[in-house]
Amino acid sequence: MGGREKLYEDLHFPYCDDVVKYEKLDKIGQGTFGEVFRARNRKTRKIVALKKVLMENEKEGFPITALREIKILQQLKHDNIVKLNEICRTKPSACNKFRSTFYLVFDFCEHDLAGLLSNYNVKFSLGEIKKVMQQLLEGLYYIHSSKILHRDMKAANVLITKSGVLKLADFGLARAFSHRNGQPNRYTNRVVTLWYRPPELLLGERNYGPAIDVWGAGCIMAEMWTRTPIMQDKFIQPSKSKEVMNLIFQGSTEQHQLNLISQLCGSITPDVWPGVENLPFFSSMELARNHKRKVKERLKTYVRDPYACDLIDKMLALDPSKRIDSDTALNHDFFWSDPLPCDLGKMLSHHQHSMFEFLAPPRRGRQQQQQQVQQGSNVTTASGSAAATSALQQQQQSSRRGAQQRSSASASVASMSSCPERIF
Amino acid sequence: MAGNFWHSSHYQQWILEKQDLIHQRQADLEILTEDEYPKLMIFFSNLIQQLGETLKLRQQVIATATVFMKRFYARNSLKCIDPLLLAPTSVFLASKVEEFGVISNSRLISTCQTVIKNKFGYAYSQEFPFRMNHVLECEFYLLESMDCCLIVYQPYRPLVQYMQDLGAESEVLQLGWKIVNDSLRTDACLLFAPYEIALACMHMACVVYQKDCKQWFAELNCDLDRIMEITKYILNLYELWKSYDERKEIASILQKIPKPSTQPPQPGSR
Repeated sequence: MGGREKLYEDLHFPYCDDVVKYEKLDKIGQGTFGEVFRARNRKTRKIVALKKVLMENEKEGFPITALREIKILQQLKHDNIVKLNEICRTKPSACNKFRSTFYLVFDFCEHDLAGLLSNYNVKFSLGEIKKVMQQLLEGLYYIHSSKILHRDMKAANVLITKSGVLKLADFGLARAFSHRNGQPNRYTNRVVTLWYRPPELLLGERNYGPAIDVWGAGCIMAEMWTRTPIMQDKFIQPSKSKEVMNLIFQGSTEQHQLNLISQLCGSITPDVWPGVENLPFFSSMELARNHKRKVKERLKTYVRDPYACDLIDKMLALDPSKRIDSDTALNHDFFWSDPLPCDLGKMLSHHQHSMFEFLAPPRRGRQQQQQQVQQGSNVTTASGSAAATSALQQQQQSSRRGAQQRSSASASVASMSSCPERIF
Repeated sequence: MAGNFWHSSHYQQWILEKQDLIHQRQADLEILTEDEYPKLMIFFSNLIQQLGETLKLRQQVIATATVFMKRFYARNSLKCIDPLLLAPTSVFLASKVEEFGVISNSRLISTCQTVIKNKFGYAYSQEFPFRMNHVLECEFYLLESMDCCLIVYQPYRPLVQYMQDLGAESEVLQLGWKIVNDSLRTDACLLFAPYEIALACMHMACVVYQKDCKQWFAELNCDLDRIMEITKYILNLYELWKSYDERKEIASILQKIPKPSTQPPQPGSR
């Protein structure tokens, strides 16, 4: 090792600031590639979020996911996209093998949507839900017109400031997309947390586009009422016990997820989705037949507003080419009928403390989907394992969230009627 | 890459002034002559090109790697990091940034070894002395020096667009493309916007093929003086190439590179 530090002499670091200028306060989350802390600028007292870049794979050097997030956020500037203020680092020294730890410094947002939805004291009025969705779709419209796919849409990645401004966050799986002169793209389909993963990805599509994010946004929109991710057993198959489920869907989680989707959105056939038969896994997956589409029917007990039901239905179109895009969605009657979107600031002002999914208190809960998740984490690509990891976290945390909703531990799969629509 | 050049860090932070470059290089220019410094930059750009081609990278990745290296030395002396280490590090980082994937560690190092041995034996009598841990460490310094500005716009895309708009024949485009490659060996990519470089290269290619582009350029809304300045940079490069035999001279120039007080580890010492 002798002389190693002497490889670099006279190196100064005037460009990235030393992270000591911030004082870490507490840990608030776990992103795709690292921990997130709340911190305070020692000088200005401004509160920020520090996202630590985890050096998991030593051989990869600076993680590609972090490089993507940096490069994408450096060019995205929009009110509904989280703002990257700067990049800080620790001093390189013998203790860190002369490799600094890097931190991304973001504006601090008080809440995330998953945290808010898991707290039943937080009640969204219809106008407020419209405001959330409008901001979410505006963020999506902006990134899609900047030719960026988010690829990890989920409630935990939707931040909300205390004044009610929504910020789309965690671009660790995001990437630029292009339409190359008619040539199909070959992106990895191992993206998006399982519950928010659209059918085309589950069927192995690699030439996908912005529609994958709209599917996730549709799931999030329904969640504004159901308060729990919709594409999961306890929502879709409340009557079947865990044992039966495991018997039926032993095998891949993707298979299971497709079944859940079919049960809600109808069978996946070339009739409703021309060309689906050409997707890589179309023949290897067992696709349930004869399911009728019942998105509206199923949601209407939660979502009383017919415009809302209609918009969710359009965002959850099986065929990505028929799925509504963010621009058209923003013009949907939902946003232009009474009650109009209204500011969230007033409602949020009743809630003084931060609500993050990560911080939702762990309750005794059932590890309902653990087995499937473990199978699902057996993937090969780097971003895939990141997605699976985040899926794992999501599911662990959601099972907490689920547990929170239902105090009865004996009901291993909650029946629909026990879901708390009473709050509406 | 998506996005708007005018809002990018490339435009906002990385179009430098000539004065800045001169100032930053002052220390190096006390040791190297005004001629030797560009010769070194040409040499290491060639090294990056060779590494990239051997690794079968796209030209876009190679170009980005070259710009990364140039950005580093626009802010640091040659003595801070041996360019022989920074060159492969730039290639390694650029491949990730340009979505070409992570180059495997062993492949990168073995490519360095063979390229140095087979293509640049006239410059180095010894084996490539660095190991992957040096590259990974160096990557951090490179990122930091660039302030994590990763997006590099290249002249290739505007070049193709302009040539199409002009209705240029494919050989004109090909020559323009080659001139863009050559321009990476000058300071132009630090001083001018990629679209300006594309215009200069296009103009030069048209002149060579006697393709009439007067009208097309007359309708442009851009500073033609800057385009001519770029042309001068590239012509100077060609002039230099004519009068100089890299194979004979480079070894002695490399010897002059200021080094950290301790030499890099000898191969096999680990």
